[in-house]
Amino acid sequence: MNNAKMENATHKVRNIGISAHIDSGKTTLTERILFFTKRIHAIHDVKGKDGVGATMDSMELEKERGITIASAATYCEWLDHEINIIDTPGHVDFTIEVERSLRVLDGAIFVLCSVGGVQSQSITVDQQMKRYKVPCIAFINKCDRIGASPFRVIDQLKDKLGHNAVSMQIPVGLEADLKGVVDLVTMKAIYFDGVNGEDLRIEDIPQNLLSEAMERREELVDAASMFSDELTEAILEEQEVTEDMIIAAIRQGTLTCKMTPVFMGSAYKNKGVQPLLDAVINLLPCPSDVENEAIDMDNDSVPVILSSESEKPVVALAFKLEDGQYGQLTYIRVYQGSISKGDTIVNVRNGKKIKVGRVVRMHAEQMEDIETIPAGYIGALFGIDCASGDTFVATGVNLTMTSIFVPDPVISLSIVPSDNKSQINMSKALRRFSKEDPTFRTYVDDETKETIIEGMGELHLEVYVERMRREYTAKVAIGQPRVAYRETITQKAEFNYIHKKQTGGAGQFGRVAGYIEPVTDADFVFENKIVGGKIPTRFIASCEKGFRQSMDKGPKMKFPVTGVKVVINDGASHSVDSSEMAFQTAALGAFREGYLKAKPVILEPIMKVVVETPTEFLGAVMGLLNQRRGTIVGSQEEGPLCVIEAQAPLSEMFGFSTVLRSSTQGKALFTMEFGSYKQVPQSVAEELVKKAN
Amino acid sequence: MLKKELILQNPLRFMGHGTDDILSEGGFGAVLARAGVGKTALLVQLALNNLLRNKNVLHISLDDPVKKVSLWYKEVFRHLTKSYDVKKINQLWEALLPHRFIMTFKVEGFSVPKLEERLTDLKEQNIFLPQVVFIDGFPFNETVRMPLSDFKDLAKNHSLHVWFTVRTRRHEKPGPDGMPAPLLDVIDLFDVVIQLQPEGKEIHVKTLKGGPADFEHTALLLDPSTMLITNNQKPA
Repeated sequence: MNNAKMENATHKVRNIGISAHIDSGKTTLTERILFFTKRIHAIHDVKGKDGVGATMDSMELEKERGITIASAATYCEWLDHEINIIDTPGHVDFTIEVERSLRVLDGAIFVLCSVGGVQSQSITVDQQMKRYKVPCIAFINKCDRIGASPFRVIDQLKDKLGHNAVSMQIPVGLEADLKGVVDLVTMKAIYFDGVNGEDLRIEDIPQNLLSEAMERREELVDAASMFSDELTEAILEEQEVTEDMIIAAIRQGTLTCKMTPVFMGSAYKNKGVQPLLDAVINLLPCPSDVENEAIDMDNDSVPVILSSESEKPVVALAFKLEDGQYGQLTYIRVYQGSISKGDTIVNVRNGKKIKVGRVVRMHAEQMEDIETIPAGYIGALFGIDCASGDTFVATGVNLTMTSIFVPDPVISLSIVPSDNKSQINMSKALRRFSKEDPTFRTYVDDETKETIIEGMGELHLEVYVERMRREYTAKVAIGQPRVAYRETITQKAEFNYIHKKQTGGAGQFGRVAGYIEPVTDADFVFENKIVGGKIPTRFIASCEKGFRQSMDKGPKMKFPVTGVKVVINDGASHSVDSSEMAFQTAALGAFREGYLKAKPVILEPIMKVVVETPTEFLGAVMGLLNQRRGTIVGSQEEGPLCVIEAQAPLSEMFGFSTVLRSSTQGKALFTMEFGSYKQVPQSVAEELVKKAN
Repeated sequence: MLKKELILQNPLRFMGHGTDDILSEGGFGAVLARAGVGKTALLVQLALNNLLRNKNVLHISLDDPVKKVSLWYKEVFRHLTKSYDVKKINQLWEALLPHRFIMTFKVEGFSVPKLEERLTDLKEQNIFLPQVVFIDGFPFNETVRMPLSDFKDLAKNHSLHVWFTVRTRRHEKPGPDGMPAPLLDVIDLFDVVIQLQPEGKEIHVKTLKGGPADFEHTALLLDPSTMLITNNQKPA
């Protein structure tokens, strides 16, 4: 292993993601990038005959479902620059995973298929990048395929996705005749010779392409001039337009997400990859071009802009955990300061101090030891016990990269392992998943003794179950998804309960009186207003314990109770028969008595649903949401797409993705996140009671 | 109770309008002001009043995304109800929401036929049946007469009352009757015109058209901190 030290020159670093529709050749492109940057020395095909498979392709499930679930990071070098490639999840539902990986990258290559063009998943990927304001360059891949039409894809980028897409190249030949590309900035033709296209041959533009090239270049320069006064002046005053001028203008347009330069080629045929790598260096941002914010926990969660200087106190984010043969590998991005071997850093979440041991830089499955990870860089730490999404800082700093708030799960499933081996593997998997994802939780139901997994949505849990089966070979059967209902009270009610038991042996006596009332800003509040020792002080804690215990299972439907304030103001005790147990039992009875008089209601999780659909399906989508007891907050037209914001009960949203897909020819997408708990309508409550009985 | 008390704070009532429905079916009202004076705030106040009276409100914004429009409603509602019990306020807010629908368009993407298409979608599926429409950011330029006339027809066909915000500019000279420039050519289409006029540190609310004859309009003020119309009328 090479014991290298990372140079701290952030302008020479690019942290990028490769975002793409499934089957548009993302893995092949990544593989070729690693080959041309000499990180790997042989090319393995995705569906290769050599049985090795592509380097980045680590999860089978990802390919099958067309989603990237786990993100790996890999490192390579090009033109004296360091490029970190972060694999990005392509599905909008994994909010925490998406947020983390889009957070750590500064720019992206948006891969499109020259035959398939902009497909529904390209729309998802595009929306993610837009949401996180990630500057991107596009690569139209598979130009060697029959039916390749890069300029049609550029038109789709403009029309369907609203990109200001501008062609940087034109192909020399297409389909089986694809020979190379014409660079519209240098106005030279580039051919890719050698066995693997590693030898670049630069020649004059072929005569038959000259006029098209001139025309496209004019379009390019025209579009670029919008972002540079210098270039505009040069054009107007008919001075020489230099390559640097054009590149600088395009870079400006790209960094502000107002322009998408488009490159083309065929990764599989090794054509067009090196110019794309040049573009990553020339057009995509370096870490200091991007403003990163942390939250100051000591100062009312005020956002703080981080500085990429290595001398400042360290702030770093653990964005991915991996289980390796030597223990847990934690991928981190350093935003400020630097992390070196032997440093002491603090995990903001739990305040634990950690001594940094091995520091490595990852190349897919292999690694190399390094000394330091400076600001703007991505690396990995060994043997650090932490969860994904944790922030590491220098001692004395209390900044966090992510909000500490983790929503409570809204949906649960029971899982039953089929045999003993699966049971062991399932436990391993559950331990790992709950560490990686704070919104994924697991427990054993006291009554049914079943293992329950909880999460933020149907798909969220489905994917974990699938990973359990594939990565951990745990055969499990799953139950029906269950919504996490809650109970609460709607009015004040009094209680006065005596617990008395005198059936031989030591008796039990306790009287507890007071009232319960709804409270909006807390789950449970207990107030002791007993005067004159009517309940001896030593039993007050038992009373509270009894009331608190009652909150676990509401007397109405056995759902957890929320939003209740209990006040005790009277009671009685017996010098011999009163005990902690007696008062705890009395409190349970008192709660039950008051609760049923306080008009209890059932609450259900209401989800914030956002559907993005082509405008022609707007009516249909609104109809679907309406049928699901959804309240449509509004609709927002954004060019060819329309965004509908709605609130809908989770219980009605099961299977929504399938219905939505079939009603919109698969062109609409939706995201769903927990919004709030609201009272269920009377008719639904009656249904629930009926089902429970 | 809370609802009734809030209805009494209706800005139009302060302006001397005896009844709340000052616009006829198909009628137009306008809130005029320069940029940043408080057009949207007043519009949202008018909308909230309609919501409190169980009217279905369609809010169309040609400037802001749905989230921002929602925030406007939340903020104005919070100011209106700050002296009341939180629990009741929350319940009332939840009850109002199903009566509000927000649509946002890019200015260049908005047209009357497009709106008609959307309204038909909503009506046919019985998703939302608007009664009052509030439009924020409609461009009142030299070619506005035609789309506005089409809008009038649409409003009549769907029995809608429509309120617009109209942005005025310092350099534009008003007409001989004092009517601000953007409305000069289309004033006949409007029943009520209200102008917000900053004077010193205060913002005065003036009725330019459609106000009751005996109303002393200079008495009304818009509180710049809450953007609500205040009732501290000066002696006439």
